[in-house]
Amino acid sequence: MASTLRLYLTCIRNTLEAAMCLQNFPCQEVERHNKPEVELKTSPELLLNPVLICRNEAEKCLIETSINSLRISLKVKQADELENILTKKFLRFLSMRAEAFQVLRRKPVQGYDISFLITNYHCEEMQKHKLIDFIVQFMEDIDKEISELKMSANTRGRLVATEFLKQFI
Amino acid sequence: MAAISVHQFAPCITCHAWSPDKSMVAFCPNNNEVHIYKLFEDKWEKVHTLQKHDQIISGIDWSTRTNRIVTASQDRNSYVWNLEGSEWVPTLVILRLNRAALCVQWSPKENKFAVGSGAKTVCVCYYEQENNWWVSKLIRKRHDSSVTSVSWHPNNILLATTSTDGKCRVFSTLIKGVDSKESNGSTSSYSKFGELIIQLDLSLSWAFGVKWSPSGNTLAYVGHNSMIYFVDDVGPSPLAQNVACRDLPLRDVLFVSERMVIGVGFDCTPMVFAADDRGIWSFVRYLGEKKETSSGSKYGSQFSEAFGKFYGQSKHGMNNDSVESSKIRGGVHENCINCIMPLGECGTLIRRFSTSGLDGRVVIWDLEGQQDLLDYM
Repeated sequence: MASTLRLYLTCIRNTLEAAMCLQNFPCQEVERHNKPEVELKTSPELLLNPVLICRNEAEKCLIETSINSLRISLKVKQADELENILTKKFLRFLSMRAEAFQVLRRKPVQGYDISFLITNYHCEEMQKHKLIDFIVQFMEDIDKEISELKMSANTRGRLVATEFLKQFI
Repeated sequence: MAAISVHQFAPCITCHAWSPDKSMVAFCPNNNEVHIYKLFEDKWEKVHTLQKHDQIISGIDWSTRTNRIVTASQDRNSYVWNLEGSEWVPTLVILRLNRAALCVQWSPKENKFAVGSGAKTVCVCYYEQENNWWVSKLIRKRHDSSVTSVSWHPNNILLATTSTDGKCRVFSTLIKGVDSKESNGSTSSYSKFGELIIQLDLSLSWAFGVKWSPSGNTLAYVGHNSMIYFVDDVGPSPLAQNVACRDLPLRDVLFVSERMVIGVGFDCTPMVFAADDRGIWSFVRYLGEKKETSSGSKYGSQFSEAFGKFYGQSKHGMNNDSVESSKIRGGVHENCINCIMPLGECGTLIRRFSTSGLDGRVVIWDLEGQQDLLDYM
């Protein structure tokens, strides 16, 4: 792994560790409601400053924290159009199955490719370090997955082209 | 080892309280019930379940002298439970709240209790004989956000509160007819109910877990920016001290003596703070062993199973150069500790206390045998 990626992921891990201090907190504005404050943003005093971690222009991670929830939004590297379309399709595939992941948000935050929403209920049910490991592992693997997909798409394209051009020989 | 007893009662505990003789523990297993367990020869058995609330219970307090339980819940209600025969009978409290109740505490004389709420108010409740219910007087328009914690001064009049607006406030709660004239003695200057005595604006972030020292001379509370604040001489010219922690923020504190405070929170290990001869507070050490092992790259949770479904399929082999996994926090507790309660008679030195957390454990700690800490007692 490139050393810059490791630094980037370590930075995200440490930030998440500090940010994931969530607690049960009922809504101040609506009676008998208990909703993630980071999504509603009704009371500014319940939000912390968002943290933006950038590896370069194309790859960044936004961590927004509130008293009872945490939102992590990722922008994945897209060097060319093929990568762009692969990322879009792949992350859409994952987002459509958000229930299986529990912490995945069905729709990414604007300007990002994929978002996670972690609430105090997730922290109660699951171990915090495993949650953080999951996010970091996800980021680590998404790049690999995309480049693998790209490679297989290219190989396939080359094979198809070869087969197609054979008839003209 | 300072932890003398660890018991897993439920998957998750929001708060707990002890009976006057410390033989029973009442806790909320992160739902709308209160479970009361009694210790029968080294075995905890459930003796009562209190069901009346319909949302998660955020606060429980068990009065020492009158043997009453008060519960506060996010359903905006609060009940006072009396033991009649073998049944706990609830009495409704007219809180007049329109948001969740977040914390509750009996006053030292046990004739009043305070409820902090998400409606940015504090209710001070007292019993009304003629109607047979508890009525409340509200402290309104003083807090800019939810009240996260309340604490009574030993004089039964002053009430300290912390709020998510980052401030700690001290109010007078003198109620005519409830607090007799002779009882307030020196505090007769606080004549009006709801008068703001002092407002402490030390924390930059949310404040939690306010407590008075046994004599009522010192006030301690914590901020979400990993700071703990000690305030001496609460009054017109207070003296404040900030102590920054290296680790994750604290949630609650407990005065063990005038000069020693135990802090618990997201770091999962209780921390000991103490004042030296000059009254300067500092962090002493952790209580109990702190695990420093790394979790390794084993993925056994249900998460990774889902994750594996999409990714795994042994496509990539084990990579050795992955980012090191995060360290597991805590030792005895495995998740955030959100409640700490003293275990001991009122007025005497507290040597034992209990903590409960989101991991569903109630741990009893004993300071006996911790030689370096006994010097501060």
